[in-house]
Amino acid sequence: MSWLDGLRHRVRTLFRSSAYEHELREEMAYHRELDRVQGLDAHAAARHLGNETWYREEARRFTWLGALDVWRQDVTYAWRSILRNPSVTATIILTLALGLGVNAATFSVLDRLYLRPPDGVANTDDVQRVWFEHSPLRSATGQPFISEGTTHPVFRAVSSGGPRGAFAAYDTDFSLFMGSGGNRSRVRAAFATASYFDVLGIRAAFGRTYTVHEDSLGSGTNVIVLADRFWKSSFGGDSSVIGRRIRVEGDEYEVIGVLPPGFAGLDLQAVDVWIPLASIPRAHWTVRGAAEGRAWWDGDRASHFHVIFRASQTPPALDQRATATVREMQRHLQYGDTLMSVLTSGLVGAGPDKPGTELTIGGRLAIVSFIVLVIACANVINLLLARSMKRRREIAVRLALGISRGRLVRLLTAETVVLGLLAGGVATMIAWGAGTALRSLMLPEVVWYDSPLHWRVVVFAFGLSLLAGLVAGIIPAVQSSNPKLSPALKDGSRDSGSHRSRLRQALLITQAALSVVLLVGSALFMRSLDNVRSLRLGYDVDRLAFGYVSFEPGQRPPGPVVAGEMDVLARRFRSRPGVDEVARTEFTPMRGISTAKFFWDNDSSTSLRRDFPTFSAVSPTFFRATGVRIIKGSTFSSEEGGPKQLIVNDAMAKRLWPDEDAIGRCVRFGKADGDCYTVAAIVENARQSFVIEAPKLMYYLPLGNLPDGRKSGSTLIVRVAPGSMTAVHDALSAELKRAFPAADVHVSSMMDELEGEYRPWRLGATLFTSMGLLALLVAVVGIYGAISYGVSQRTHEFGVRIALGARIETVLQQVVAEGVRVIAVGVGAGIILSIAGGRLVASMLYGVTPGDPITIAAVAVTLLTVAALAAIVPAWRAARVDPITALRSD
Amino acid sequence: MSTKRDLLPGTLDMLVLKTLSVGSLHGYAIAQHISRLSQDVLQVEQGSLYPALERLLGGGLVTSKWGTSPTGRKVRYYTITASGRKKLGQEISNFDSLSLAIARVLGREGGA
Repeated sequence: MSWLDGLRHRVRTLFRSSAYEHELREEMAYHRELDRVQGLDAHAAARHLGNETWYREEARRFTWLGALDVWRQDVTYAWRSILRNPSVTATIILTLALGLGVNAATFSVLDRLYLRPPDGVANTDDVQRVWFEHSPLRSATGQPFISEGTTHPVFRAVSSGGPRGAFAAYDTDFSLFMGSGGNRSRVRAAFATASYFDVLGIRAAFGRTYTVHEDSLGSGTNVIVLADRFWKSSFGGDSSVIGRRIRVEGDEYEVIGVLPPGFAGLDLQAVDVWIPLASIPRAHWTVRGAAEGRAWWDGDRASHFHVIFRASQTPPALDQRATATVREMQRHLQYGDTLMSVLTSGLVGAGPDKPGTELTIGGRLAIVSFIVLVIACANVINLLLARSMKRRREIAVRLALGISRGRLVRLLTAETVVLGLLAGGVATMIAWGAGTALRSLMLPEVVWYDSPLHWRVVVFAFGLSLLAGLVAGIIPAVQSSNPKLSPALKDGSRDSGSHRSRLRQALLITQAALSVVLLVGSALFMRSLDNVRSLRLGYDVDRLAFGYVSFEPGQRPPGPVVAGEMDVLARRFRSRPGVDEVARTEFTPMRGISTAKFFWDNDSSTSLRRDFPTFSAVSPTFFRATGVRIIKGSTFSSEEGGPKQLIVNDAMAKRLWPDEDAIGRCVRFGKADGDCYTVAAIVENARQSFVIEAPKLMYYLPLGNLPDGRKSGSTLIVRVAPGSMTAVHDALSAELKRAFPAADVHVSSMMDELEGEYRPWRLGATLFTSMGLLALLVAVVGIYGAISYGVSQRTHEFGVRIALGARIETVLQQVVAEGVRVIAVGVGAGIILSIAGGRLVASMLYGVTPGDPITIAAVAVTLLTVAALAAIVPAWRAARVDPITALRSD
Repeated sequence: MSTKRDLLPGTLDMLVLKTLSVGSLHGYAIAQHISRLSQDVLQVEQGSLYPALERLLGGGLVTSKWGTSPTGRKVRYYTITASGRKKLGQEISNFDSLSLAIARVLGREGGA
């Protein structure tokens, strides 16, 4: 292969450059020598050969060494001119780094969520996930309802379509207690079939994974496999851990193996231990949805087994066959009340269950951070243009001396590429910080073990920085390599071309327009968050704290005992300073509800269908404590043995007794001739489950007088005096711990409880606001830089004007007005853009529309003010120009 | 010979390849061969041979090997490769059509 010979030769000269030089010298010396032998004298021989050094240089130019020499020159030149102007350099690097860092951080999150296969899995391309569509159910956003979790019977039906070992089921959604007594700690456990490890191609680093035999339903063996990280953190990496027995939720498990480093399950939340599906701790059987008298794996309630399989070992079109099998099973067993379809997807990517918010948040994040990068690039191009103007004379001299245009462009672009790479380094650091922040902002409940700086993120950051460096460099380079020579040599650094300033204006307008888009976005999200926050939920959210206790399996005292104890505690706690009122209830408000069938007048609750009312069992102080207002009537007269009463909310009163007074009406539970509960009061509509929901039909029953005779009420609601939340929180924890020494104590404020529901709005507000402020900052730097450059170019003109008697205010006003005029055009364009783009975020807003005039006006005023402020400093400089200096300088 | 004739651009490569098509030679021999055959009309500075050889080496048209001369000195011998021969063929036919065209313009085409 001839081209291969050539390549070999080139590579050899590159890596053995001194040998190459030496050989060429030798060869030429020999040439001269032979000439002498032919009878030429030394002089003639040398003339015959020509300028030896010149020809050696020429030869070197054809090697890769030559190319390298040119590169070295470029980079040295770039480096020198970078150092010459450190403040501009720092501005450029920082601006670029911010833009790049934000993008790298976004990439790090999106890559982890959707683009990268889970670490440590051998055959990622072959493994498929299974999803279930439940028609006719719809998600809150109207999309088909798709879940990944399913029940064991469905898993068995799906896996009947292929060889046994090709399917696996697992569930990682468990936080279990490990150890006992004071040594208890929580671990993330996965219950997985034995085939799980084979399907994923994972072998134990040492020890072993469990066998099919150990995972047979009904006689599972209590064995446990550890994740590498967990083994290191909890067992100090001790290899004698194999064979040790550890307690999980009260049962003993034998450690049989440790998995290789890197693998931490398939989901975002890392897994600590794996347990055979057949050996799920007894305490969790009920959670698995077992009906009375049936094994848990025959339970038909919702549960969360995820199913994976190997595509290469199963027949094609598995989804269609499996759908048929599952539906057959559903018909045969009358299983479930929806029609299931089986879907499959690869291991990488978002999965069919996420068409909605999560993906769109990701997409918007990508768009928004890209906008920041565009703004940053526009800014850098502007700074570079201004700088290359200052170097016009140098460039003109170079051109006059005969540098080729291509070479000049290369020289100038090399500079921005070096700048870009420096910015890439800074951006990587920014990406690390911003990536960490972004992760905890978007997915606060996930405990991350891996760094946000995966190598792919670093490659992304540097690739993008190289690209940004090229893009930002090529325009100014091409522009400045084409000056009309003689004026450039004559005027030196003074800018005389008007088309160039037009380009700079266009860049400024772009920056301003995109900043407006981001700022409008942030204002809209802030207002949405504010609107959602100020919604009246019925409860005095910022005044409420909740407390309850939970027990280890089998340790829970009978309900009435706990309730009685809580009652005593509540009475005592009420007189504490900082506590305004204490109430008891069955479930924390908005976190649990009950239903019961009832009859009123000649109707029954079943006729209400979708509006089926829910109730809360509460103590009489509930309304005073929570702040749910009583519209009419009064609360329950007493806790124990009083009259049978109920309290309905406004929506229910209007629905059951339209146009009539509900007070004193009779509701009978269970049977049409059951005991009569009379309506004692009508209260305002409070939220049932979500911050944003239409009013629901709700009613309240007295804790001590429930229709089914239950005695409950082991959750405390404390109304806290303003400013005492922390103290009361701690006191409540201590009291509960004292009253129930064996229990786990849970105390929270209602604010904390609802935090998750405000998150989408907070996320939007935080992301857009931080990006918007970043954009504003970059734009200010850009405006300031552009105007002060313009002023420095016109020193001469200002000098003349002032000499002719122009007043300071006039000059000041003129410079500021010119700057603001350009920005105003950008603001106009930005307003149009943000109205057009508003539809993309409309679904994520609350109580405000994308075209909201007040928001847009506020943003426009803000940006114009900022632009004026940024223009005043250089304007002031222009007004203070000393005519004599200005006229003397060139 | 007092006037030096400049070579047409690119012709040096062709001449080197043509010279090497006979057999492996070292640099001096290539230079000698070219000037002898052209009867000293084509008189180039012989140093320009070396950049040309480097260009041909990088393009894989010739290869080089260090050997020993009859006088016992270390010498680099150049050999034409298969793609070098192909390139030579192209160059020659290009040159032929070019010189024919020039001859036509000058009105010296045979039989005109």
